[in-house]
Amino acid sequence: MAITEAHAGRRYPPTDPYHVSAAKIAEFATALGDDNPRYRGDSPIAPPTFAAVISSRAWHQLFTDPELELSVERIVHGDQRFTFVRPLRPGDIVIATASIDRVRLRAGSELIYATVDITGRDTELICTAQATFSHAREAAA
Amino acid sequence: MTMRFTRERLVRYAGASTDFNPIHYSEYFAGRMGLPGVIAHGMLTMGTALRIVTNWVGDPGRVISYAVRFTRPVVVPDDAHGVEVEFRGSVSAVDGSLVMVSIEAISEGQKVLGAARAEVDLSVRVPHRDHEA
Repeated sequence: MAITEAHAGRRYPPTDPYHVSAAKIAEFATALGDDNPRYRGDSPIAPPTFAAVISSRAWHQLFTDPELELSVERIVHGDQRFTFVRPLRPGDIVIATASIDRVRLRAGSELIYATVDITGRDTELICTAQATFSHAREAAA
Repeated sequence: MTMRFTRERLVRYAGASTDFNPIHYSEYFAGRMGLPGVIAHGMLTMGTALRIVTNWVGDPGRVISYAVRFTRPVVVPDDAHGVEVEFRGSVSAVDGSLVMVSIEAISEGQKVLGAARAEVDLSVRVPHRDHEA
């Protein structure tokens, strides 16, 4: 069937619970080359863009949705926005729920607007990730 | 702030983020996708750029929102030097204790991020954001 504008509003089931850990946060901060002490020690918080690590699990559901017929390697991240209620921190057990907000069909590609809500215990909203992705309909000649 | 992106950084970021897209480590796969070479993860550039803001405010917990557009890929050569990416920030709006910082990221003379901006809460006591256990 392939992705269409009518897929706006599609909501995906939540990802499996992800356990935020101090070790992974420290590894992520080091990968960014960031020695900010708030990412280490006794009560660390996650770097803000760590939310993408969790969101990507939800994006993956969207990218591999058989009904959309997307080719994952032809998807390019267009833009990204995070909004935080609070930082992620070790001990958080979170799930990510993706939904398609909008699909725009263009000449050779589709523009996909998607929101991922990252929630913790008792459906506490921690972070919202909004992204746009462009998908090239066919491989370049 | 200038950061050097080397292949090592891309390897570390791939592992830390679990993004193992081969365009970020393999010339072969990058070439097949029509890219000029191995490129940095967009999220790596986005995460690095935020340091302009977090270095300034100290506590990254004060970041309320962060948004960027990915305008151009950062090509990372396979050598000892890598590529330098220059980051600059400036306060673009103030609303009470909320401050908007606009961020620029430039590599090889070109903007690699567009409309990059972070909102931070500079209030003395940050309500609802108690992240001390």
